[in-house]
Amino acid sequence: MIATIRAEWRKNQFRPAFLVSLGVVAASTLFVYGIVWYLATHPSPGNQQGVSILTLYPDQFVNYVMGIGLLLGEAMAVVLGAVVAGSEYSWGTTKTMLTQRPGRLTNWSGRVVVFAAGLGIMALVLFAVGAASSVVVAAFEHHAITWPAALYIAEGLAAVWLVFIANGAIGLALGVLIRHSAAALGIGLIYVLAVEVLGVRFIDSLNNGAYKWIGNLFVGQNANALLQSFTSPAFGPSAPPAIATNQAVLVLAVYFAGLIVVAAGLLRLRDVT
Amino acid sequence: MAMENAPIVETHGLSKRFGSGFLAVDGVDMSVRRGEVYGFLGPNGAGKTTTLKMLVGLIGATSGTATVAGHAPGDPAGLAKIGCLIEGPGFYPYLSGRENLRVVADLASVSQRRVDEVLDLIEMTSRAGRKFGTYSTGMKMRIGVAAALLKDPELLILDEPTAGLDPQGMAEMRKLITDIGHGERTVLISSHLLGEVQATCDRVGVISNGKLVRESTVEDLLGDEGVFVRAEPSERANEVLTRMFGPAAVVHENGHFNLKTNPAQSLAINRQLMASGVAVSELRPVERSLEDVFFQLTGDKQGS
Ligand SMILES: Nc1ncnc2c1ncn2[C@@H]1O[C@H](COP(=O)(O)OP(=O)(O)OP(=O)(O)O)[C@@H](O)[C@H]1O
Ligand SMILES: [Mg+2]
Repeated sequence: MIATIRAEWRKNQFRPAFLVSLGVVAASTLFVYGIVWYLATHPSPGNQQGVSILTLYPDQFVNYVMGIGLLLGEAMAVVLGAVVAGSEYSWGTTKTMLTQRPGRLTNWSGRVVVFAAGLGIMALVLFAVGAASSVVVAAFEHHAITWPAALYIAEGLAAVWLVFIANGAIGLALGVLIRHSAAALGIGLIYVLAVEVLGVRFIDSLNNGAYKWIGNLFVGQNANALLQSFTSPAFGPSAPPAIATNQAVLVLAVYFAGLIVVAAGLLRLRDVT
Repeated sequence: MAMENAPIVETHGLSKRFGSGFLAVDGVDMSVRRGEVYGFLGPNGAGKTTTLKMLVGLIGATSGTATVAGHAPGDPAGLAKIGCLIEGPGFYPYLSGRENLRVVADLASVSQRRVDEVLDLIEMTSRAGRKFGTYSTGMKMRIGVAAALLKDPELLILDEPTAGLDPQGMAEMRKLITDIGHGERTVLISSHLLGEVQATCDRVGVISNGKLVRESTVEDLLGDEGVFVRAEPSERANEVLTRMFGPAAVVHENGHFNLKTNPAQSLAINRQLMASGVAVSELRPVERSLEDVFFQLTGDKQGS
């Protein structure tokens, strides 16, 4: 599997789709910090609730980037997964990769490992740009720079990464299933951004919420609950997450593993035509 | 060498029925010997690509068996000895030709030094730094061949490596194939260019409608030669020729005769006809090209 990981790394490190995603994450993080900083320092009638500038300081950066990670992570990871898995078919590279030496499952494992590593880098970029932005804000506002505990940062990173890979696995599986990146990307986005959201709302509304437990089994709900568990009083009063953190972690991990295994099965059994 | 004629590819009843129910490959028994250049011929849609894909494990056979380089198709141990370019080169457009080969070399566990060797071999060294997506058809094909050569494979499988090439590109590709097919290496090549095949291959297999209709050396295939005779009066000529070779060997059409016999018989034919008072206006050996044989074997209703 070392050979496949090496090959996957070599081909993905300068992959435009990947570099663009990192750029989008970095730019969005900067943008959000910039806008919110402006809003926090320029209270206006239209901004009655007020944005607390306290949330923009380094000690809150982990909690802060969770929101960005949630919004972006879902969309970005699905898109990347669909593109990474789907374009192998449009480019005809599947046959090239599968006729070298490693078997299909080894190939797939290597691809998943490098993809997950790529999303790890995306999480790191999110955190790094968030941290840097918070330092800039703190410096300008003459606020002391204190950091969250290392363990807290690590937990936050792990949580964001888990949300990324669970959503990424949706994209990967769709890419393998549909064998076309654009179609997989479209379907993945529509599912994550619309179908699932509406579906969960519908399920939750049934019979006075009697089936809420089913709604709580969807990726988005769990990603939401997991990332919202990173909060602090600086963000104002917040309801406790609807799903316990441990359960959310478990559900997301099961999604990731399940989708990867299903895609592996498809890849293993289907003809490359 | 004892292994010389042991087949490196051997299939028995190899068949593929696609999900649509279409039987693309139908009971193919083929055998490619070690060290030969084997031409795999057939009209469009005959099942060449499907067969080759089954040999490398990209497509699973519906029934039948195949042993390739000593292993079942798709077995990593077998794949390690096979280089292939099937249905066009498939590479990452955003990477350079060289980077693409590096990716393949990583996968194949081949040293990165080999990348420069094969680039040199296909004369792409100077253009190796350009993005694959910007290459012309010919350059892409060369990279495909280079990738297939990375493993210095015992068996090289090329599916229409001259598709889309200009005459010069074809000539270069033919030279390349002759060079790399030299010596121990076995080359299994499918092509529509029968002249190329006739010039480069030792043996051929002809597939039509999914069935292998002929497998033999190129000489044997062309060997069903004959003699062309134009003679008057034709009734008398027919009598004489039929007496000489039997009715099955005499085809009388458009005022001439096609004899299924060795051209060495020409002198005897001439003598007999003359002796019987037949005037011979034309008598020559019929040299069949691979193309003639191909059309005869595959029928002209198929193909496009
Ligand atoms: N995935 C598929 N599903 C259904 N039918 C297929 C599939 N792939 C190929 N076929 C059919 O199988 C037959 C053989 O196709 P194949 O590609 O092997 O032909 P070929 O001999 O390589 O032709 P060509 O010279 O045009 O490349 C064709 O009729 C084709 O339409
Ligand atoms: Mg073909």
